[in-house]
Amino acid sequence: MNKNLLFFIAFTFVIFNLGAQNCNLKIQGSVFDEAPNVPLAFVNIFIQELSKGTITDEDGNFELRDICPGHYHLTFSHIGCDGERMHLDIYSDTILNVLLSHTPTTFGTVLIKGKKEEFVTQPNVSVNRRAIEDNANQSLSGLLENEAGVHLLKNGSGISKPIVQGLYGNRLVILNNGIAQSGQQWGNDHSPEIDPFAADKITVLKGVSAIEYGAGNLGSVILVEPKRIENEPHLHGQVNYVFETNGRGHNLNTRLGKYTPTLAWKVSGTLKKYGDRETADYFLNNTGIEEGSLAMQLEKTVKDQLFLDFYASTFNTQLGILRGSHIGNITDLERALVSEVPFFTEPNFSYTIDAPRQKVSHHLVKTKAKYFLKNDQLIELVLAGQLNNRKEFDVRRSGRSDIPSLDIAQYTFNTELKYIHNLPANWKFKIGQQNITTDNTNNPETGILPLIPDYFSWKLGHFFTISKKLEKIDFNIGARYDYELQNVVTISRGVDVEIVRFKNKFHNYSGLLSAKFELTKTQSISWNTGYATRNPAINELYSNGLHQGVSGIEEGDENLRAETALKNTLEYQWIPNANFSFNSLIYHQKFNDYISLVPQSEIRETIRGFFPVFKYEQMDANIYGLDVSTQFTIGRSFFGTLKYSYLKGVNTVEDIPLIFMPPNSFFGSLVYRAENSLQIRKLKFEESEIEINNRYVFEQNNILAGQDFIAPPSAYNLIGLKLSANINSSRYKIRCFVKADNLLNVAYRDYLNRQRYFADDLGLSISIGLNYKF
Amino acid sequence: MKQHYLTMTMVLSIALFFTSCDKDDPVIPNEEELITTLNLYLTPVDNGEMVTLSFQDLDGDGGNAPIVTSGTLIADVQYSGRMELLNESESPVEDITEEIEEEDDEHQFFFQSTISDLSFTYEDEDDNGNPVGLSTTLSTGMAGSGNITITLVHEPAKNAAGVSGGDITNAEGEIDIEVTFPIIIE
Repeated sequence: MNKNLLFFIAFTFVIFNLGAQNCNLKIQGSVFDEAPNVPLAFVNIFIQELSKGTITDEDGNFELRDICPGHYHLTFSHIGCDGERMHLDIYSDTILNVLLSHTPTTFGTVLIKGKKEEFVTQPNVSVNRRAIEDNANQSLSGLLENEAGVHLLKNGSGISKPIVQGLYGNRLVILNNGIAQSGQQWGNDHSPEIDPFAADKITVLKGVSAIEYGAGNLGSVILVEPKRIENEPHLHGQVNYVFETNGRGHNLNTRLGKYTPTLAWKVSGTLKKYGDRETADYFLNNTGIEEGSLAMQLEKTVKDQLFLDFYASTFNTQLGILRGSHIGNITDLERALVSEVPFFTEPNFSYTIDAPRQKVSHHLVKTKAKYFLKNDQLIELVLAGQLNNRKEFDVRRSGRSDIPSLDIAQYTFNTELKYIHNLPANWKFKIGQQNITTDNTNNPETGILPLIPDYFSWKLGHFFTISKKLEKIDFNIGARYDYELQNVVTISRGVDVEIVRFKNKFHNYSGLLSAKFELTKTQSISWNTGYATRNPAINELYSNGLHQGVSGIEEGDENLRAETALKNTLEYQWIPNANFSFNSLIYHQKFNDYISLVPQSEIRETIRGFFPVFKYEQMDANIYGLDVSTQFTIGRSFFGTLKYSYLKGVNTVEDIPLIFMPPNSFFGSLVYRAENSLQIRKLKFEESEIEINNRYVFEQNNILAGQDFIAPPSAYNLIGLKLSANINSSRYKIRCFVKADNLLNVAYRDYLNRQRYFADDLGLSISIGLNYKF
Repeated sequence: MKQHYLTMTMVLSIALFFTSCDKDDPVIPNEEELITTLNLYLTPVDNGEMVTLSFQDLDGDGGNAPIVTSGTLIADVQYSGRMELLNESESPVEDITEEIEEEDDEHQFFFQSTISDLSFTYEDEDDNGNPVGLSTTLSTGMAGSGNITITLVHEPAKNAAGVSGGDITNAEGEIDIEVTFPIIIE
């Protein structure tokens, strides 16, 4: 899968006029690896229109002869990854210098007017377009699962949210197109409502303090970004279809785009339908998914000075939740824990989605204007609106299963203003402000007192960052201040319910100091330190009610204070040559007043029986860990990746482990690429690859008996296999693949899957995918 | 230049200042589905005094302890039992028993007792001929004391082994009510 294989092309080309004659033009050039800047051998270069290609030699050089003048699309690809296309108008002999990057971590390089806009000293990993296409059956979180330092908090097979270095939910900001994803992100059983297929790149910043990305994050940020629309005068598009046996799921994606000087546009859409998923031994009834989403991107450049960008998307999903995980009181939980197979398990497959289920829609409209004041200064204005509507349906009496038990509409309005100034001597200055207003309203038709109250909140943040690039050192400092106003209207519990209002004001501060030292040409060290405060979120302050998923009563605490975090990271990178790279990242985050949902000694008696009570409490805590990854190529046919994550969370007040922390994990993959194309009848398969991968998740030993209802599940090992090949022609490109996940059909349970109390995780699944690009 | 930035900052801030900051009072949801009270009326088949077992929890999931009213039963007597479920947070009080009657195939009461020779028998059935438990007969044996636990299971597997006989072990489903009464038999 090689998801973190960044394939970034920065190219410069020089055109020589050597007296063009018909059809004997030459394209020659060299390909270099970006980071160590060494020649890259065995890169495939292919001219689509002519169905002709070549491979770079040991010195990274290539040459294509006998080319007629015309418009061409060239692709560059290296083992285990798929290069992006570039459009060239050839009128004369042409020399290209191509810069490819396939290192696990790279500087976030965005080329604007030939200048690097960013130089990021924060550790990051990313998933590229090809991995997104090859995993079109995955959710946003699923795409990140194999990255070092990233784990998934799941609620069954259909619901998952990313955890980065132990942080998730309120502590992790997901930026979709630069806009902080709003909605009910606090919920452990709420997936981010984003269609990854609309994106070109997903980046996880594992830093200490992502100053410019808004309050709430304590270091890590996930960026979901589309690319700028390529300067391509032709209509291009793709259709992608994946069928998955487990759940008998169909995934259909399309994308269409064109660049014209007046307006560049791109449209992308996804349809998804799954039925009941299955474990190694039984069906998981009522775990289907129905999803439909659409995104549109428009871009316009006015006089090379003003860049306008408009983005609109709608995401709609309906998710079934395993019927057997919907339980009543603590007696029910105990009955379910001892049952080998979840209650309500049926022998038949079905696409039907009944209660319990979630129906969520998320709409986003964003517009961005980027104005270049001078060559070295720019101002950026973003306006965005979001509507998130979440409905959750429980199994209820007397036909009420069709009335949601939770129904919240949330409107969010974002504005952002940034001013960026590139000063001489590689100084760079950035200042900005962000406003987020949120209006959250429950629908009273539920007939249930809401878990989260109605509220209105206003956040206003200001930040600045200064960075400097020297010969051997890059450094970055920044600070941020955020004000948050919360107007909350709660409904009290008790015999006589009444309305109680709260008005809270919070001040948050964060600061960042980071530096990257180039030790030698091939080795570098980055050091980051960051401090941030996060005020308690609405759910931590005021949630009140029964959380069905774990049959517990959750209660907020209106007296919570802001939590503070001090994080340090140290990253070492060694890239001796284009065939090998090694990256290790050590991090330590110290929390004061860490807010956590803690089980209470009280077991509450109600007419429905006894329920465990969970309350939000504050403690001091440490989270620390290590992410290691390495990539290597052997000859021209083998490409390998190894990744390992270690993490530990400790409540330092009581000296006990933090619960729900990711267990340690290991991921390895090996890809073999056939040197020659395969001819099967009239079809010619290029770049045929076989990949075998292995994911081992250790048992979570860092937990005490009695901290959870049951002991953590045992370690497990999953093996995956994938075969893929491309068919290239002058007019189109077809990519096809077959892959098997959990090849050995292992029955296992994952510690971070909240349904592990009730059911096994997914068994064998085979996916067949077809991607057609023109 | 920087003036642009400052002007725009001011415009944005002022625009937001005028957006309303207060939320309207929410409509308090009508919790019509809530069960606050379970009453089991036990009338001796032959003459005698009626005993009422009552469990009342008016604040739902809230922190106030429920009010449990138990009773004393007579040894070697048969009682005819009638179950009543109420939502007393509503005015007028809503009778939830009717909802159970309408969906009797999806519900079943289970009666468990720590008193050895006390037994319940079902006196009603749903359309499929399976027991429901709104109407029962309770037979006491020797004098003694212990607990009776009454459980209402929603969507039970009524055809599973032992379930129609009143054994909850294989009933699956999910628990809507689970209450326990201390009982003395004289």
